[in-house]
Amino acid sequence: MTISGVLTRIEDCIPALRRYAAALLRNREDADDLVHDCLVRALDKLHTRRDDADVRAWLFAIMHNLFISQLRRSKARPSGEPLAETHESIGTRPEQESSLQWRDLIRALNQLPVEQRTVILLVSVEDLSYAETAQVLGIPIGTVMSRLARGRERLRQMTEEGAIRPALRRVK
Amino acid sequence: MSDPVHPIAEEDLHAGIDGQLAADRQPIVSRYLQDHPDIARKVAAWREQRDALRAAFAAIAAEPIPSRLLMDRLLQHRITRRSVIWRMAASALLAFGLGGAAGWFLRPGVQPPGTAAITLLAQQAVSNHVVYTADRRRPTELGAQQRDDLARWVSNRLNHQVVPPDLSADGFSYMGGRLAATPDGPAGLFMYDGPQSVRLTVFVLPLKTAGEKPIQRVDFADVDGCAWIDKGIGYAVVGKLPPSELRRIAEGVRQQLSRTT
Repeated sequence: MTISGVLTRIEDCIPALRRYAAALLRNREDADDLVHDCLVRALDKLHTRRDDADVRAWLFAIMHNLFISQLRRSKARPSGEPLAETHESIGTRPEQESSLQWRDLIRALNQLPVEQRTVILLVSVEDLSYAETAQVLGIPIGTVMSRLARGRERLRQMTEEGAIRPALRRVK
Repeated sequence: MSDPVHPIAEEDLHAGIDGQLAADRQPIVSRYLQDHPDIARKVAAWREQRDALRAAFAAIAAEPIPSRLLMDRLLQHRITRRSVIWRMAASALLAFGLGGAAGWFLRPGVQPPGTAAITLLAQQAVSNHVVYTADRRRPTELGAQQRDDLARWVSNRLNHQVVPPDLSADGFSYMGGRLAATPDGPAGLFMYDGPQSVRLTVFVLPLKTAGEKPIQRVDFADVDGCAWIDKGIGYAVVGKLPPSELRRIAEGVRQQLSRTT
C-alpha cells in the first residue's frame, strides 16, 4: 500500500531528520520546530507521491528548503546577525555532556559556510549518496564534490591548526 | 599520478572515505595514497573527521522522539480537519496498524456526531478510490483476467454474493479489483478505466445496520461519488466524472448488482 508505505518510511526518517536539524541549528527547540514543519509539509505533499522510493531524500529536500527560507527570513531582518555566525555549538549546552569531547569539532563545523556544512552533514553523517545530496540541495553533483572537498579541508585545517576561534583568520 | 589514463582526482579520495568509490578504482586510489604520504595523511584526517562527526551527532538520533513529532500525533491533527487525504491516510493506517492512529480513529465519539451510515460508506469508498487509483504499479490485486477469482474471494470475505459489474456500455473497461479494509470490515473494490484514462471504482461494503437508502451524491474535495444502501449492503461509485454521468452509471451498477443477489 503506497500511502502506508510512505508513512512508515517517513516515520523511520524522523530520528535522522532531528539529527540533521540539530546539527544545522544551534537550538534543539528550533531544530525540532524545523522537523515539525518538515513533517507537516511532507504530509501536505503526500498525495503527490507515486511510490515510497527516495522518501529520505525527499524529506531532507523539504527540510533543506524550509531551512533556507528560514535563513533568508532571518537575514532579511535588519537587526538579525548573520545566522552562520550565531549558530554555535550544540556541544556548549550543559546537558550535552557527551558531546563535550566534540566541542571543538562542532565549533569549527559551525564556522564553515552553510553551503559546505550542509554537504558535509548530509554526506558524512546522514550517509546520503553524492547524487542524493545533489538532489536534496538542488545543485549539480560537481558542486557537491567541490563543497565537500573544500569544507573537509577547511575543517581539517581549523581543528588541526587550532584556528577555530577567529573565523576569519586566513590559513595560508 | 599513478594512472595516466584515469588520474586520481580529489573526488576519488572523498568517494573512498564515503564508501562511494567504484570497486575498480579502489586499488588505484590505494596505490596512489601509498605513493603520496602527504595526501594519505590528509585523507586519514578527513576520515577521522567524518567518524568524529558521526559520533558527535549519533546520540540525537537515538533519543526518543518528542511527542509533537510523532506521526500519529501529526495525523490526528490532520484528520480532525476532515480532508479526504487524511481520512484516506487513516484508513491506510487502520489497515496496516501503523503507530497508534488506528486506535485513535476507532475510538467512539471521535467520528463526527450524527454522521449517517452513507457518509461513512462514502468516506471509505473515496479513501480506497484515492489510495488505489493513485497506485500506478499495482492498482488492483487481481486483474481483469481473474474476474471470477476476485468475485469468489470478495463474495467469501463479504459473506455476500457480489460480481464486478460490467460497465462497458458506459465506456469503462474492467481493470480488476481487490479486497479493501474499512472500520466496518472487508469491502470489495472494483476498478474501471474510462475515456481519457479516467478511473472509476465501485465499492461494496456490507453494513451492520440493515436498511435502504436511495442513490445520493457525495462529494469529497476533487472526487465525486454516488452512494446507496440496498438490503444492508452499502454501494458506492466514485470517480472524477460529471455528477449526471456518475448517477447514470450508479443506476446501472445498482440494477446489475441487485440482480446478482
